[in-house]
Amino acid sequence: MLSLDVKMAWRNIWRNPRRSILTIAAIAFASLLLVFMLSWQFGSYATMIDAVVKVQTGHLQVQAKGYNEDREMRQVVPNPGAITSRLDHIPEVSAWTSRGQAFVLAASAQRTYGALVTGIDPGREKLVSRVRDFVREGKYLDNLEPYSALVGSLLAGNLKIGLGDEVTLLGQGRDGSTAATVVNVRGIFRSGQDELDRNTLYISLPAFQETFSMGKAVHEIVILADDLEHIPQIRQYLQEDIAAGGEYGELVVLTWSELMPGVLQSIKMDLVSGFIFYLILIVIIAFSILNTFLMVLFERTREFGVLLALGTTPGRLSRLLLVESTTMTLLGVIIGVVLGSLVTTYFEAHGIVIAGTGDMLRQFGLPERMYPELSVLSIMIGSGIVLVITLLTALYPAHKVKKLEPVEAMAANK
Amino acid sequence: MIPSLKNKNRFKPRPARFFPFFLLVAHLAISLPLTSINAVAEELSPADAAEIVQESINYYRGQASTSTVDMTIHRPAWERTMTIQGWTRGQKDSLFTILAPAKDRGNATLKKGREMWTYNPKVNRTIKIPPSMMSQSWMGSDFSNNDLAKSDSILEDYSHRLIGTDSHEGKKVYLIESKPHPDAPVVWGMQRLHIREDHILLAEDFFDEDLRLVKSLTSKDIRMLGGRLFPKIWQMQKAGKTDEYTLLNYKEIAFDIDLPEGIFTLSSLKNLRR
Repeated sequence: MLSLDVKMAWRNIWRNPRRSILTIAAIAFASLLLVFMLSWQFGSYATMIDAVVKVQTGHLQVQAKGYNEDREMRQVVPNPGAITSRLDHIPEVSAWTSRGQAFVLAASAQRTYGALVTGIDPGREKLVSRVRDFVREGKYLDNLEPYSALVGSLLAGNLKIGLGDEVTLLGQGRDGSTAATVVNVRGIFRSGQDELDRNTLYISLPAFQETFSMGKAVHEIVILADDLEHIPQIRQYLQEDIAAGGEYGELVVLTWSELMPGVLQSIKMDLVSGFIFYLILIVIIAFSILNTFLMVLFERTREFGVLLALGTTPGRLSRLLLVESTTMTLLGVIIGVVLGSLVTTYFEAHGIVIAGTGDMLRQFGLPERMYPELSVLSIMIGSGIVLVITLLTALYPAHKVKKLEPVEAMAANK
Repeated sequence: MIPSLKNKNRFKPRPARFFPFFLLVAHLAISLPLTSINAVAEELSPADAAEIVQESINYYRGQASTSTVDMTIHRPAWERTMTIQGWTRGQKDSLFTILAPAKDRGNATLKKGREMWTYNPKVNRTIKIPPSMMSQSWMGSDFSNNDLAKSDSILEDYSHRLIGTDSHEGKKVYLIESKPHPDAPVVWGMQRLHIREDHILLAEDFFDEDLRLVKSLTSKDIRMLGGRLFPKIWQMQKAGKTDEYTLLNYKEIAFDIDLPEGIFTLSSLKNLRR
């Protein structure tokens, strides 16, 4: 009996091919758009997180408790070796490095500015952050010449220094004593992020530790995970370790979203505004479906009257309508998902450049070419919502058909 | 000597973390003097108030002075003491050098007018402190570079009003409220001074633009030092933070001495190390 219903429904759909195709096309278009847009959004978030994380913060950091807020020199990871030897045995960790940071007066022969000195391990740093790629003039740091520095392009301009010039750094050591050193400018970097370029100098970690009386302590251990999804796991390993061993001091493990809450907030905002757009789209589609089925109902009132008079139950009539609408919706969604996946896969391989946004994206350290990222999630969310909404919409005419009186219905549309 | 450069949030005084407690302290600080004060001596005009301040500053700085001070920086988890020798002439010129600990020996600060230079012997460089760094702490203490550089500001940029009197060890104490002239380049929105009739500064409270207490300088252990009564201990305390303060303990001080010509110059800043 069901197969008969399906057969009837299928024939009914193609009784007015133009209207049905238009409806299916609307549903397909909505699904296609949702699949592509969601893949695009997720893809750009992944790119954004990856780019931002590789400027400085990494996916995870181990710090002394309170260091992220107070940035006091004495809030150190006193024994980084204990943590880093553990990191080498966590397969989800793709790279790590350690850093020291101090606020100093940086003075050239002519000018003095406040600056942030970051001590980095040149060999490890290049695996974690893009500092090395940012070097525009001169060379990257080398442990063989510890007392040389990479200077931000804006800071170098402010200090009026170029390659080979001397910069005096004056600050406070970990023990509160005066820390001072002279470094040579080995390279000038430009990250595109003005704040970083305006106030940061990189020197090698051994020189930093020596100058600022750090011993073997560091301020941050920066970790890059092999996948965003592994971050919570790595964090848990480290937290268990820290909780178990007393020798670490009071340490915390922070993720990129805690270190840069702004990035996660802007992602959330983008998601919300995206969903508002999708909601409007889906509501329009829903009305078009509703319109189609109400038209069907008016057009076929006489037919339904005859069917009722012949003994068809109202329940079966409404089931017939539901099968019709479900078939159309499914057709539309399947076509949409297939086309959407094809389009997305194409751009996943080739990338998209939105003309004129290159400068803005560079400001945030993002590449010009963005790639959508097709995932089960981006396919399921959009098509699922379209499916549910259209099926709900189809319930109304299906319910209405039950209330038809055979005699009245047969007299309609004369 | 070194401006301790902490994080950027610290460039400005922060509101206390425990707000109600801070409010209470601020409230006490503001209202106590007003309530405990005897009816104010109305006979004193603003000019007199300014004179009291001027005489007090003359008294504790003298024409010229030299002193040796132990400065202790106290923080919840640690404490650090250094010994500093200083020379001053009038309100414009001063020079400080660190004698101990050995690691910091020879670091020196020169102030002329409102400009400051710092010298470090390890790298043998003199650095002028840029204006943007003047609000940073001096040597990691609770004194800012501005506290030193603008020490004459209280006389030049503020107008003074006597708001009451009090008593201390049987002597009369003038309570003076100092507010900045309009458009004056000042750090504080208001200062309140407690000056004893024998010119000794007992306390100085610093308020921000919203008239909230930021920090307080108090003096105690008044005794004969360098031929005059002088408080041996000075304490700079952040408002609302009982365990964060800086103590100055004067070990020696001499007033109205003859200082060599050219002592307040960049070349002498370098050559202090002996």
